[in-house]
Amino acid sequence: MAGAVLAVPAIGFTTIFAVLRFANFALAGHMAVGAFAGYLVNSWLGLPAWAAVLAAFLFAAMIGVATDHVALRPLRGYRALTIAIASIALNLMVENALRFCFGNAPRNFAIPLRRDLSFGPIHIGPQQIENAIIAGIAMMILFLFLSLTTTGKAMRAVADNPALADSKGIDPDRMARIAVAIGMGLGGIGGMLIGLDASIDPLVGFRSILSVFAAAVVGGLGNVPGAVVGGLVIGLAEELSLLALPSTYKAAVGFLAILITLSFRPRGLLGPRGV
Amino acid sequence: MTKRPSLAITRRQAIAGTATLAASPLVLPSFGFAQGAEPIRLAGLVSLTGGGSAFGPNDRMAHQAVIDEVNAAGGILGRKIEYLAEDDETNPEAGVRAARKLIDVNKVVAIMSVWASAVGTAVLPLCWENKVMMLAIAAADSIAMLPHQGYFVRTQPHTELQGREFANFAIKRGAKHFFVMMPQTPFTDSVMKGIKDQCEPKGIKVSTLVYDAKKSSLRSEVEEMMRATPDFLMIGGYQPDDIVLAKDVYRANYKGTAIGFAYGLTPQFIDGAGKEAAEGIYSIEPVPAAGSSAYARLKTMLKRDQLDTYVCQAYDHVNLAILSMAKAGQASGTAIRDTVRKITNDSGVKVDNALDGLKAIIEGKEINYRGASGPCRFDERGNIVEVEFRLNQIRDGKIVEVKS
Repeated sequence: MAGAVLAVPAIGFTTIFAVLRFANFALAGHMAVGAFAGYLVNSWLGLPAWAAVLAAFLFAAMIGVATDHVALRPLRGYRALTIAIASIALNLMVENALRFCFGNAPRNFAIPLRRDLSFGPIHIGPQQIENAIIAGIAMMILFLFLSLTTTGKAMRAVADNPALADSKGIDPDRMARIAVAIGMGLGGIGGMLIGLDASIDPLVGFRSILSVFAAAVVGGLGNVPGAVVGGLVIGLAEELSLLALPSTYKAAVGFLAILITLSFRPRGLLGPRGV
Repeated sequence: MTKRPSLAITRRQAIAGTATLAASPLVLPSFGFAQGAEPIRLAGLVSLTGGGSAFGPNDRMAHQAVIDEVNAAGGILGRKIEYLAEDDETNPEAGVRAARKLIDVNKVVAIMSVWASAVGTAVLPLCWENKVMMLAIAAADSIAMLPHQGYFVRTQPHTELQGREFANFAIKRGAKHFFVMMPQTPFTDSVMKGIKDQCEPKGIKVSTLVYDAKKSSLRSEVEEMMRATPDFLMIGGYQPDDIVLAKDVYRANYKGTAIGFAYGLTPQFIDGAGKEAAEGIYSIEPVPAAGSSAYARLKTMLKRDQLDTYVCQAYDHVNLAILSMAKAGQASGTAIRDTVRKITNDSGVKVDNALDGLKAIIEGKEINYRGASGPCRFDERGNIVEVEFRLNQIRDGKIVEVKS
């Protein structure tokens, strides 16, 4: 379940990387933007979860495009590391803007508290099951978009070969905007799903970004199906680690996964050769 | 013919004269300034936001109410008292920034009612280095063990003592396996030690788990606890992480007894966690002197029917600071340090507020300050020596006192 929820922002992260060729760590702040947008729609307006998920996607996407236009687009010609560092600064600004508006106190969605379902030694929360279903639907919609629509195919062309795509008349700026919108929107959904199971605060994305990045790296940076596989692998590894190690060390799983992947298979499980 | 001395001022003389005039305040005695003009500054470093925000605003109100009362009667030592309150955000970094401002810019003589142990630990060195008195609530044993040179007293019982109260609860209720879950704080070790030292000799197994209080879900930690199958659980965090933990414990179908610190299991906790998750959880807190005249007086001042121990302690902090300075005849942190144990003299006139105490001091009498939180007597490390505890339980969304 945790892997499915992790896969959604991981796909967002890898989509942006595929098109724009840099690691956009501002995804963490936009996960929080999506979480708060979903919270406002659910708790303040009283709308159901599906409306909150849609709001999370749309708000995170819009804010993502706006912040990218202001902060990162002017740096497009620079090295990937430079833009990645700038994305960290952007992330801090987004999180602090949220902190200024909403404060630090955790907030909960207006959903009833339900006990876990027990299957022997395995406990699964009903919300976790719902989150996995929502994550699955979001991923399915994305795959259909990328496979069947002209815009989706154009994005894949830019990801595969930017120069060739440009020569065929595909507007790289437009593709970049769409990639950012989709990436940040998926991040927003991810933030909201985490918040549905727990609570939200301005750092909800920051606490998950290491696992998200690890999922994208393990799956292969730039590979969308790889991000799904990576999310499931990282999610499973984090849960299984609890059988052998205290829960305090769960966060180290992400670090270890990145280390092992980059040491032995830098392209990730499904990434292209030469990455 | 004799040349008359010139009355014209030369440029050299003008420069020398101006420099002397400008430097004179630095070298002349300060009696040139009226003693009543410079106020005595007392500070409240309170938690207006963060985990302690349920208590900080009330503490500030208590400080301000007492100071207003004293100023209306003319202040002390011929000077008014100026009160400054800063928010430590229940966070040591913010607490240190605020304390630096209070000490370096505002030149306060005392910092009162620091609530969180992490903030107290971080701020106390600034206090003793600058001879500023800290009158605190922060309860971690380790704070009193710092080399504070006497610039520290606290009215909250220290945490090993509190740990023993939790242990006594488990022993009385026949616990078999007590699982203690706490965030990383300066008092985590001492509470866990207090529980183990009491429980293990009685045959009660004690397991401990320290969690990261910043996480939005503690599901993994709760799974680890459930695998241990305890019958007693300590939810030992502050309010925000108690909410997260209580919800995850409820989801995991924990059926045993749960207990925590009362400062984390507040009415706001019940709102945040929900009635179902909060139902049946016990809490322990030090008891204010609810039968005392100081408590009654404070209820009237703040127009409240009931008071928590922290606002009572805040009331006592400001009274102790004011009465100590008046008794010493000097407004400084050192004066408070040297005199705070002399205003609870058994043979003195019993007083429960600053005004009556000041009156007695002016008349040359010894005083015995009896506070709203208790008798306010401190040992050489600054720990309170007399304390009682109360056991509460959450029933149907309300916190009720129960017999231990």
